[in-house]
Amino acid sequence: MPPHDEGPATREPARSEAPRRASGDLVVEARGLGKTYKGGKGQYTEAVRDLSFGCRRGEVYGLLGPNGAGKTTTLRMLSTVLSPTSGTAVIAGEDVVSHGDRVRASIGFLSGNTGLYPRLSPREVLHYFGRLHGMATDHIEHRIAELAQLLDMADYLEKRCDKLSTGMKQKVNVARTVIHDPPVLVLDEPTSGLDVLASRTIVDFIHRSREENKCVIFSSHIMGEVRRLCDRLAIIHKGAMQFEGTLDELRARGGGDDLEDAFIYVLEHAA
Amino acid sequence: MNLRTIGVLARKEFKDVLRDRRTLFFMVLLPMVAMPVIMIAGSRFVKKQAAEKEQRVLQVATNAGGERVITGLRDRWMADNQVAVGLTIAKFGIDSLDDQEAIADFFVRLGKARQAGGGEAGGELMAAMYEAWQKLPEEQQRLLLDYGAVNRFMSLTKFRRFRSLPKEGKLSPGVKIPDDMPDAEALNLPPDASLPDPEVVALAVQEKVVHGALYVPTPGGDEASAAREVFVTLDEGRAYRIDVLYDASISLSKEFLDRFEGFMAALERDEMRRRVLNEGLRSTFVAPFDLEPADIASASRKLQGALGGLLPYLIIVFCFLGAFYPALDLTAGEKERFTLETLLLSPISRLDIAAGKFVVVFVAAVTAAILFTTSMFITVTQGVLPEGLLAGLDFRLEPLAIVLTLSLLLPIAAVIAALVLGVALCGRSFKEAQNYVAPLQILFIIPGMVAFLPDLETETHLAWIPLVNVSLLMKELLKGNYLWDFYWITLGSLLLMTALVLWGSSLLFRRESVLMRT
Repeated sequence: MPPHDEGPATREPARSEAPRRASGDLVVEARGLGKTYKGGKGQYTEAVRDLSFGCRRGEVYGLLGPNGAGKTTTLRMLSTVLSPTSGTAVIAGEDVVSHGDRVRASIGFLSGNTGLYPRLSPREVLHYFGRLHGMATDHIEHRIAELAQLLDMADYLEKRCDKLSTGMKQKVNVARTVIHDPPVLVLDEPTSGLDVLASRTIVDFIHRSREENKCVIFSSHIMGEVRRLCDRLAIIHKGAMQFEGTLDELRARGGGDDLEDAFIYVLEHAA
Repeated sequence: MNLRTIGVLARKEFKDVLRDRRTLFFMVLLPMVAMPVIMIAGSRFVKKQAAEKEQRVLQVATNAGGERVITGLRDRWMADNQVAVGLTIAKFGIDSLDDQEAIADFFVRLGKARQAGGGEAGGELMAAMYEAWQKLPEEQQRLLLDYGAVNRFMSLTKFRRFRSLPKEGKLSPGVKIPDDMPDAEALNLPPDASLPDPEVVALAVQEKVVHGALYVPTPGGDEASAAREVFVTLDEGRAYRIDVLYDASISLSKEFLDRFEGFMAALERDEMRRRVLNEGLRSTFVAPFDLEPADIASASRKLQGALGGLLPYLIIVFCFLGAFYPALDLTAGEKERFTLETLLLSPISRLDIAAGKFVVVFVAAVTAAILFTTSMFITVTQGVLPEGLLAGLDFRLEPLAIVLTLSLLLPIAAVIAALVLGVALCGRSFKEAQNYVAPLQILFIIPGMVAFLPDLETETHLAWIPLVNVSLLMKELLKGNYLWDFYWITLGSLLLMTALVLWGSSLLFRRESVLMRT
C-alpha cells in the first residue's frame, strides 16, 4: 500500500536513467521498513515509516534529510543494530531480521563519530575486528598491509589510537570498515565533524568503493557531497520517503537547476 | 555461544583494560598494597592511641576538700598495705616502694600480660612476670592489682578546684562558663547535696576543660570539715557519698571513670577488711559466694574470630572493587567512546559480546580478591605487623579450606561481575554508570558484614541466603570447621543466584533500548 502521497516520478524512478556502473540485482533492498520507539507514559514515536528502496553493486545511494529525519535509524536497521518494528530489508541475499549475523558479515559500517579504542594501536584495532569477522591471522596481516599502503597510514600503525590526529583516526576507521572487504558499505553521515582533509579521505574512499563495484549507502545533509557522490538518492523527512530518484530527477522536481532549492522544495511539500 | 569469538573478545578486552591505570590500581595495587598498609598503620595507630590514653594525666574538678579527701583515703590505704605490697613487689626484683618508675613499669607490663591472657602474646619477659604473678596467693595477686589501681589513679590525676576552671579560653566559640562559677564553699551546700550547679560542671566536662568531676560532702563548708567527715563516716560504719560526674560519650571521661572506679574498688576492699576485722567476723562473712569465672578462649582465638568475620567481608569488597572499573570501561565506557556500535556491527551475537566482557570482569574480580587474600596472609603470617599484635595467631589454612573458599569465591565473583556489568551497561556515560553501580556496593557489603555479628551461628536456614551464607561459612572454614551440609546449600544458592543474575544481564545486553541508550 502506498503510505505517502507522492508524484509519479518518485514512485517509479526512471530505470532507463539507471546509474553509470550499477549492474545486476539489488544488493540492498528495504521493504517497508518502519521503526516505532516506545516512550514513557505509553507514548509512541514513529521514527521511520514504511521505507522501501534498493541499491545495486557499484552504486552510491544517498539518504538525504534534515536532522531527525530518520536517516540514522534507517541505516541502523539496515546494519541490524536496531531491529525494525515493521517491514524488513534484505542485504546481500540475507534478511536483516532473521539472519542478522550473516548480514553484518557483508556490511561495513562507518559514521562520523565512530570511535576507536584509545588504548589500542590501529593494528590491534584492525586485528580485533578482522578476528571478529572470522578472518585468519595471516589474511588479516595481508589486508592491513594493503590498507596501510592504500590509506597511507603505515607510519602510525603501532601508535596508540588516542595519540592520533582526527584525520589519522578517520583513516583507521575507514580501514576498520573494510577490513573484511564487505560488498555493502553503510555510511552514516561519515564526514560530519571532520575537517576538509579528513572529509577528503572519506570522499576518496566512497569513490574507490564504487570503482570496486561495492554498493554504498550513505546519509548526509550536505547537498554538495551528495551532488558529487550519489548516483541515486532518497530524501527522507519526518521518517517517510519524500523523493527517490537520480539527481536530474530531483532537479526536475524542483523546477530549476539548483539541487539545494529542489531539496528544500521537496521538504516543504512533504506529506 | 561461540567460544572462539568469546576468546577473541576477551583477549582484546583484557589487553584494553590492562592498559587502563585505574583498572590496574583497583585490581592489583589496591588489594596488594592497601591491606598491609592499612593493617600496619591502623594497628600502630590504635596502639599509640591506647598508650597515650594510658599515660594521659586527667583533669578532675573537685569542690573544696575533694583533693584532701581522696588523698587522705589513698594515704590510709597505703598505711594499711605498704608492708605487704613492699614484700610482694620484692619478688619481682623491685627493691623499694620509692622506685616509682620501676613500679609503674611493672604494672603496665602486668596489665598488658593479663589482657593478652599470658602466653607468648606479651613477650618473653611479660610471660615470665605473668607466670610469677599467677603463682602468688590470691590475696597477694589482688593486693598488687589494687596497688596498681590506687597508684594509677593518683599519679595520673590533676585535681582542680571548680573555682579554677577557665572562664573562657579553650571553649568552643559561643560557649562561656559563667563568671559566677559556683564553688562549694561559696554555695555552702549541705552534706547530701549533689554537685554545685551541675549544669556548669557538666559544661566544663563536655567542653573537655576537665575530664570529670568529683564532689565530696563538706558539712562545715571548708576543707578541714570535709577531711574529718570522711573518716568519721567510715569509722561509724556508714556509707560515704561521693558524686561523680563524667560523660560516657567522651573516651577520656570514660577513662577517668574507669580509673576512679578501680581506685574506689581497692579502697572498698580495704575498708571492708577493716570493718570485718573490727566486728570480729571472718572475711567470708561479707563475701558469701566465691565465683571463679575462667575464660578458656585464648586471645589468639578471639582475634581469629574477629578476623574470620573480616576476611569474607573484605573478599566481597575487593571482588567488587576489582570488577568496578573494567565493567564500567567495557560498557558505558564503550558507549562514551562510540565504539559499542562498531562492536555490535560485527557478525557476532550479542550474547557472545556479553560473555566476552563478562569473562574479563569476572577474572578482574577474582584476581583482586585473590591478590588481596594473599597479601593479607603474607601480612599476617610474616610478622610485618607490630610485634605482639597478631603473634601466636594460628590460621588453619589447610588445602581443603582453600579449595572450598575458592569454590565460594568464584560464584560470588560471577554474581558481582554479571550484576555490575548489566547495571553499568544502562549508563550512557562512565559517570552515569558510576552513579548506578556505586549503590550496588551496599547490596554486597551488608550481607558480608553479618559475619561480624557474634551471635549469628551457621544455622542451616541461613545457608539459603546468598552472601550471608558465604560470610558465615568462610569464618568457619578459617577455624578449620568443615560444615558440609551448610557448604552444599551455600554453593547451591550461590549458583542459583549466579544463573539468575547472568540471565538478567544477558537480557539487558539484548535490549536495544539499553545498548543504544547514548
